[in-house]
Amino acid sequence: MFKHQEMEINMGPQHPSTHGVMRLKLKLDGEVVTECRPIIGYLHRGVEKICENKTFAQGQIWSDRLDYCSAVANNLGWAEACEKLMGITVPRKAQYVRTLLAEFNRLASHLIWLATHALDIGAMTVFLYAFREREDILDINESYCGSRLTTTAFRIGGIPQELPEGFEQKVRTFLAKFPACIDEYENMLNENRIWKKRTIGVGKLSAEDAIALGVTGPVLRAAGVAYDIRKAFPYAAYSEMQFDVPTKPEADTYARYLVRMEEMRQSVRIIQQCIDGLPEGPIMAKIPKLLKTEVNEIYHPTEAPKGEIGYYLVGEKGGAGPYRFHVRAPGLLNLQSLPKMVEGSLIADVIAAIGTLDVVLGEIDR
Amino acid sequence: MKKLLRTLIPFDIAKGLSITGTYFVKVFLTANRAKVKQHVVSEYPEVPAPLEPRFRGRVQLTLDEVGDPKCVCCNACAKACPTGVITIEGGKKEGRKTRIPTRWDYEMERCVFCGYCVEACSFDAIKLNDQFELAAYDREDFSLGLHGAHNVLEPSPVGKFSYSDEA
Repeated sequence: MFKHQEMEINMGPQHPSTHGVMRLKLKLDGEVVTECRPIIGYLHRGVEKICENKTFAQGQIWSDRLDYCSAVANNLGWAEACEKLMGITVPRKAQYVRTLLAEFNRLASHLIWLATHALDIGAMTVFLYAFREREDILDINESYCGSRLTTTAFRIGGIPQELPEGFEQKVRTFLAKFPACIDEYENMLNENRIWKKRTIGVGKLSAEDAIALGVTGPVLRAAGVAYDIRKAFPYAAYSEMQFDVPTKPEADTYARYLVRMEEMRQSVRIIQQCIDGLPEGPIMAKIPKLLKTEVNEIYHPTEAPKGEIGYYLVGEKGGAGPYRFHVRAPGLLNLQSLPKMVEGSLIADVIAAIGTLDVVLGEIDR
Repeated sequence: MKKLLRTLIPFDIAKGLSITGTYFVKVFLTANRAKVKQHVVSEYPEVPAPLEPRFRGRVQLTLDEVGDPKCVCCNACAKACPTGVITIEGGKKEGRKTRIPTRWDYEMERCVFCGYCVEACSFDAIKLNDQFELAAYDREDFSLGLHGAHNVLEPSPVGKFSYSDEA
């Protein structure tokens, strides 16, 4: 009497829960997802090609606009990649400031992830609480470099200006109150039965699958693989910092939530060490005014909040900008694991899986 | 039995609600009275937003003692600009040793407010002011120049639709 038929639907590109202009082609059998294909490219701007026509210093503003929730982390990767290409050593104070701001950025990025992820699943209160703290971080960004979101925070060879007056006080005030705020979020979510039912066992991705798909960041660490570029290939001042890499073996959405919360605590620890041990000295290396490269090619990975962001740069002889430029964006490779996570599960779990991957379309489409 | 009790009485949800309740009571009891401000939301359009001294707003030229732009038309800012929004043409003026801009065009619709132009300038002839309410209805309102309707020297050619201006 009833005909059994699979239905094909589009989720997105204008869907509030796809975090931007991502389109998912879903094949549904009733409420069960049988096939999921992410379709990307709606935010493509050709960043890689644009940067080939710009100088190294100018390229940094496009790194702001890759993953716009964690601009400082992208700036850090870009600046370090250019320095690696040209063999510039950065003064120690600049390294510390870079580390400090990058960790603040990790907090901001994780907070916006927590807010939107919880909102998607139905916990609206956390959204407002997380944004309250994120505002303080953006104020710190603004006092340092004058911009809140598109920071353009660093320069090749160091940092553009000294820390402003009252910066240390601001950071210390924030550090004093923030651990209590993380406890607040956890009190609201950790034991909440709705949150647990929506996340435990949802979006499973085993360690083998994660490694095979090139997934990095908290998603990989929540599968039990303790891989963090800050530990594996230390850059900036991370080799002098004491911190742990949190892992969880469960590999589901709840485990990823716990890993990210623990990462925030570790970030607070790193910021505390940075501000306590901030060395004196120059902030800029001695570099020529017009940067020129030799024939050279480098790949520089750094740990952005979402995973490994790597910059691949090829220099030509006497070139003021990169000959070839490529970004290994963590979001793009993490997104590849979405079909593995959701196929065979209910359609409501697709929202949880998108949220847990922390997708930002700015870096996926580039 | 214990499990049934736990299901019937939602302790877990009450734990979360108690946090909201604490904040509610705190703000409710101290509203209008507390010396320490409890609310976090700023009343932005009515109360102007506080800005940091380093805030990167719109490009504005600075003037010398005579009232002319300090710019000497070296084109350093135009070369440093990642999006190429600055166009300068230089000319001469009686009694001034350096060149003076006859044309200084700034197309704000493509500006990314990175501040590279300010860093490139060795004459302090350019600054990013504290304007951020830069919305306008007309595309022409974003083309700022030295002479003409929208002057790059003046503080507010656009941003006339901001709430605080009307009040």
